[in-house]
Formats: sequence, C-alpha cells, structure tokens
Amino acid sequence: MARRRLLGWATGEDRRGEFEEVALVHLDALYRSALRMTQNRAEAEDLVQETYLRGFRSFHRFNPGTNCRAWLFTILRNAFRSRWRRRGHELVAADAATLDAESESATVDGAAGHPEDEFFQTVLHGDVDRALKTLPLPFREVVILADLEELSYKEIAQVVDCPIGTVMSRLSRGRALLRQALGRFGREHGYLKKPE
Amino acid sequence: MNCAELEGRLHPFLDGELDVAEMSEADAHVTECPGCRGRVAREREFRQLLRRQPRESAPPELGERIRARIGRSARWAAVRPWLAASAAAAVAAATVLLLPALRAPTPLVSELVDKHIAFTQMEEPAELASGDPEAVARWFRERAGLRVTVPDYSMAGIRLIGARIAEAREHHASYVLYEKGHTPLSIFMVPIPGREADLPGTRVTYRGHEYVTLERKGYRTVSWADGQATFGLVSMLDYDALLECADKLRAGRAREARL
Repeated sequence: MARRRLLGWATGEDRRGEFEEVALVHLDALYRSALRMTQNRAEAEDLVQETYLRGFRSFHRFNPGTNCRAWLFTILRNAFRSRWRRRGHELVAADAATLDAESESATVDGAAGHPEDEFFQTVLHGDVDRALKTLPLPFREVVILADLEELSYKEIAQVVDCPIGTVMSRLSRGRALLRQALGRFGREHGYLKKPE
Repeated sequence: MNCAELEGRLHPFLDGELDVAEMSEADAHVTECPGCRGRVAREREFRQLLRRQPRESAPPELGERIRARIGRSARWAAVRPWLAASAAAAVAAATVLLLPALRAPTPLVSELVDKHIAFTQMEEPAELASGDPEAVARWFRERAGLRVTVPDYSMAGIRLIGARIAEAREHHASYVLYEKGHTPLSIFMVPIPGREADLPGTRVTYRGHEYVTLERKGYRTVSWADGQATFGLVSMLDYDALLECADKLRAGRAREARL
C-alpha cells in the first residue's frame, strides 16, 4: 500500500473513504426501497449489501458531481432484477411494453363512488405495502421511487432506463392501480361498502 | 387550459414537473374549475397518504456489515495489482531467457503518440471537459484514484481543454489535453516507474532536469520518469514550448509532493 502511495496513486483505502462518504448516506433510502421490492427483511439486507459492493467495485466509473442517489438506485434495481430473473420470474422488456400500451388507454379509479375521506380512513397500517405488492414490477418500482423516495422524473428515468414520458404514464397507471388495491382492502376490512 | 388538458397533466402537475408556463396555466384552471379542484385535492391527499408511510431506517448492523465488506474488497484491490505484477515479472523473466530477441516492446512513447492521434481525432477527446486545473485534478482523484498534477499554462496561451482516463501498459493513465490556438498538446502520466535511460530518443537537459525527446509520426515528444511514474508530452508544438511545459509540470508536482 505504501508503495502505491509512492507512485502517486490513491490506495484502495482512499477510494473506500470517498465511497463511504458519498454513498453510505443513502443506506436508509436503499434499504426501504429494497424492503418494499422484496417484502422480506433478510433479502432486502442482502440486496442492499450487494448494491454497495457492486457500487464500490465500479466506483471509478461514477462521475463525481452527478447524482449518486440515482446511480445507487440503478444498481439496486439491476441487482433486484437479476435475482428476480434467476428465480424464474419472467420480466422482459416486452412485458413492460405491453403494460405501457395498456396504461395509455386504461383509466382506473379505485375509489370511485366512495367519499374520499372515508377512503383514506380505511387504509390500515401495512395496507400500502400489501397493495404495492399487487402491482406489476414496472409500476411498483416507479411508484416506490416517486412517492416513497421522492425521486424526480429525471432521476427515475435514469434508474429505470426509459424516457420521461414512459415514467409519467407508468406512474399515473401505477398510482391508479395502487388506489384500486387499497379500495379492495377497505372493502375486505368491511369499512367500505361494495360498489352497487 | 381546459379540464381534459389538466387531466392529461395531472401527475406532472402534482409532482411539480411541469415547466413554469404550464404550471401557472394549470394553476389558473384549477382555481376557477371546482371539478378539477376536487380532483387535484383527492390526488394530493392520496400522495400525502403514501408519503406518510413509516420511513424505516436500515438496521445499524447492516451499515457495519457493508463497511466491513467494502473494507475487505478495498484491501484486496490494493493487493491484486502487486500479485499481477509479480506474475508478469515471472513471465517477463522467462521470456528474456527464452526469447531475448523479443525483449524490446514498442516504446511507451510510440504508444502515447498513437493515443494522442486517436484522442485528438475524436469529436469529444475529453471525458471531462473543463478549463479548471483543480476540477480536473479532483476528477482524476475521485474517478480513478489518480493523483495528477494539472498545471495552468494559460499565461503561455495554452488552454486546458479537459481530461480522460487512458490505458497504457495495462495501467490507468491520466490524459490531460491542452490547446494552443488549434494545436493540441497531450500530457500523459503512466504509473510505471522507469529511468530516463529506458526511454529511447535524444537526451537533453533543461533547467537542471534530464528529458528524452523523440519524434514519431510527425509529432514531437518529451518524456521523463521520476521513479514513480513516467510522463509524456505529445504535440506539434516546438521543443522549447514542450520543455517549458514539462518543467512547469515537474515543479508543480514537486510542490504538491512537499505539501
């Protein structure tokens, strides 16, 4: 290590310090999102750890001054998707494309017919996470990034690697689906009347 | 803006993602249309419901575990090049014994001239376009862990254009591009220690330091090694200018080493 320093090069330790400084501040946000994607604590922890290791190894490619949070979310998403695929879940671009096409034409309003205040009172603790789980992955991820982690459209477009227009339509459809699912839980809890 | 137009922009409107003009048009419509006002209020409330969700923190031991893993990875990264170097040295020794005639590879300087030609022909030769020496030095440090001296030659009318990370002799090398008028000047630093004698060309002394000059493919080069790294300047500028630049770089590097 001393020899490397003599050569005028930063050691792994220097790089490590820099990485920890810019990347570890996003640990909570990454963990929360991983938890919402996997719905499993042990797996979320594992996924976040993998994200940081991958990030550290490719840190030389990270452009300082650009958005570290979006960069880390991109790595998290890719790691999640490769695990997802390894488990035999089919998640190919074609699926997302079909869903996008549907979302262009469909309108969903889960709370239709219910007074809004009644609807919100029926949402129980844990319902949002349960409802998120019912969303197809391309919608779930944009809703998590926008509404729970408050990333901008531009950041989301970078993370999910698609145009901003697609982010917008997935977000609109995703929120509508989420609302619909929450309405369904409300009816199950018996707080909301079934639509006549 | 009418109701249908607002509906189409509802989400970007609520997320504050419309441009200023559209934002104020949407605002104006919502103010005067009770139907849309209700719609916006409902969506807003839904958004708040989502944002009110518990914001869990990562378990403290997860952070510790990640730090430890990164630490192990960093230590391994520090050791790896030396393992590779000793393996390469073993191969080199064997090669010298068996095939002494193949001992001399292409001189490093020729490689640098080829890179100079390739980079300066690119539409955007610099990965980082910047005229600020400090920003360039910081970029090398953060991007590739390279400590690079980036002299300011603006007093001599030589403008800093930017930088990139190059590969030379299987090492990350720093590449800094300057321009005098339309004549590019490339400065490389390759982290391989060597002695001046290892560099082919004419030995010259300039302000008490030894350099090697060599012309390749119509470009002039000035190179030297300081026991830590090998430096090469490539340009069509004359030798006086190149030696002056080299001397400034050397002085800057010595100054930084003292700090």
